[in-house]
Amino acid sequence: MSTQTVVRSQKGWLAVPQNVWRSIFRNPLPNSDYGRSSTSFSNFFLHLHPVKVHRHSLKATYTWGLGLMASFLFLILVVTGILLMFYYVPSTTQAYDRMLDLRGTVAFGIFLRNMHRWSAHAMVAVVFLHMCRVFLTGAYKPPREFNWVIGVFLFLITLFLSFTGYLLPWDQLAFWAITVGTSIAGYAPVVGKDVRFLLLGDSTVGQEALLRFYVLHVAVLPAVLIGLVTIHFWRIRKDGGLARPAEEEEAASTAPTQGLPATTPATMAVALAAAAGAGDATHPRRSFGIQGLIRGPLVKVGSIEDRTLFSWPNLFQAELLVFVISVAAILVVSLFFNAPLEEPVNVMHPPNPAKAPWYFLGLQEQVSYSAFWGGVGIPTIEVLLLLLVPYIDRKQLGVGRWFSRQRLLANTVFMTFAVINVVLVVIGTFFRGANWEFVSPW
Amino acid sequence: MMIKNPAKPDDSGPTDMSRRRLLSWLSGVGLFGSAIIAVFSNLIFIKPRATYGQPNRFAIGKPEDFPAGARISLDTRRICIVREGDKVGAISTTCTHLGCIVGVSETGFACPCHGSHYDQDGIVTGGPAPRALPWYQVTLAPNGDLYVDKDNEVEAGTYLKV
Repeated sequence: MSTQTVVRSQKGWLAVPQNVWRSIFRNPLPNSDYGRSSTSFSNFFLHLHPVKVHRHSLKATYTWGLGLMASFLFLILVVTGILLMFYYVPSTTQAYDRMLDLRGTVAFGIFLRNMHRWSAHAMVAVVFLHMCRVFLTGAYKPPREFNWVIGVFLFLITLFLSFTGYLLPWDQLAFWAITVGTSIAGYAPVVGKDVRFLLLGDSTVGQEALLRFYVLHVAVLPAVLIGLVTIHFWRIRKDGGLARPAEEEEAASTAPTQGLPATTPATMAVALAAAAGAGDATHPRRSFGIQGLIRGPLVKVGSIEDRTLFSWPNLFQAELLVFVISVAAILVVSLFFNAPLEEPVNVMHPPNPAKAPWYFLGLQEQVSYSAFWGGVGIPTIEVLLLLLVPYIDRKQLGVGRWFSRQRLLANTVFMTFAVINVVLVVIGTFFRGANWEFVSPW
Repeated sequence: MMIKNPAKPDDSGPTDMSRRRLLSWLSGVGLFGSAIIAVFSNLIFIKPRATYGQPNRFAIGKPEDFPAGARISLDTRRICIVREGDKVGAISTTCTHLGCIVGVSETGFACPCHGSHYDQDGIVTGGPAPRALPWYQVTLAPNGDLYVDKDNEVEAGTYLKV
């Protein structure tokens, strides 16, 4: 009895590191299907993912990892942004000096600023490409209409985040880009002048505008973005994972869906029988019942087993790869290219031409033809069309495939809009010189 | 549990329901009303009552500082003071296109950003500018200083006799 106690206490002390480890990570590295399942759903960060994921969703050539890439870029932006906040002061008299300090005295300052700037540009581009991917594969169709709508708002917030960040260095580029950008806002009917005044906090770009853009950039917009991204992710799961071709579903839909139409909430009892390792300490003989209300295409656990793979390790490896690629790309670019910093603000002498950030140059090009239609009218119509697309085009044809023949019309219309906008950006960036006159870059 | 009021369940039913409906309606209106008021209060809050930048009404000097025929651009104020004979006027030098500062040129005003041109009175003569440069009210204070009020737009060609 006593020896047993001694042995147990010794064992207890020796087991402390192991027990601490196991209290944090509930599962050892899995070597069975049961282990793979419980690793996925007992880890806070992994439980966002399904236990099993469809093979189609894992194809790199289907998603190109763009959505994930956008969120990883955002992560880089949050981390580098918070670090930059330690040295930045949103004051017209100090901001520019702080930029010089980042370049000269702060350890890794220039590198952090480069990372932040290039990630911001990359995020705008990647979010746009992600939107193109979702459209061209018809992934916005029911039941994913609302997630598409959230995505459109995320795109707009990304643009606005980048735009608000543009002013903060308080150099010539920043000042005149924001002057031009907020003037475009002023062309909106009825509310335009008020919106502009609320944004700037004054009649011209100055200290108030800098402070307002700073607060929007570091607090308000990131908070809104994080909230919407959370819903965006959550809905991917609730809408049955990534969109995939219907034929594949049909082929595997031999299992009954309890005779309910797909739109009716159906209670599904999913039994994960723990057959493997029955009886031993880490794999107790238990079966887990997961009860959930699932609407729309059901996550048919059991019925399409042959077409799904365990998220551990398949999905997590893929995600890690996207993460490593994103971080590596930003690091390399930041090593070789410095974020631009022009002369300090001179409110008397606008550079000629005064250009907005590149993703707004299409807008500025349009504005040079007509201030209202180019700056407000057409962009509003385009955004409204984007928001309405999933409610206009509801046919379940060609979902989950690139450039599907059944979606020729929709894809052509979308590509026309996308290409026109890209061409306008290219013209605004490379073909416009002093007084916004046409110049040749060669 | 005791069953209260077992008799006349049918009578109490409708009155109960309508009271409940009234209460839920009132709570709904209260909650949504508060939310709307909250939104508006926030809008009022972020609209500054006082701005810390330049005041919109400011002194520009004595009438003698502007000799007849002068067209003096005050870039920090973003206005151009025009004197013709004994008349003084103030024209905005903020381009109506996208807010750049227009420069005084031989024919009037020219914008360096997108090539807008205006004539001597600020009327658009070329480029993407959508409207004429606004004129502002000029007043003479008792101490002899000229004041320009940028909150007070006046018709083009409105001068103050000095």
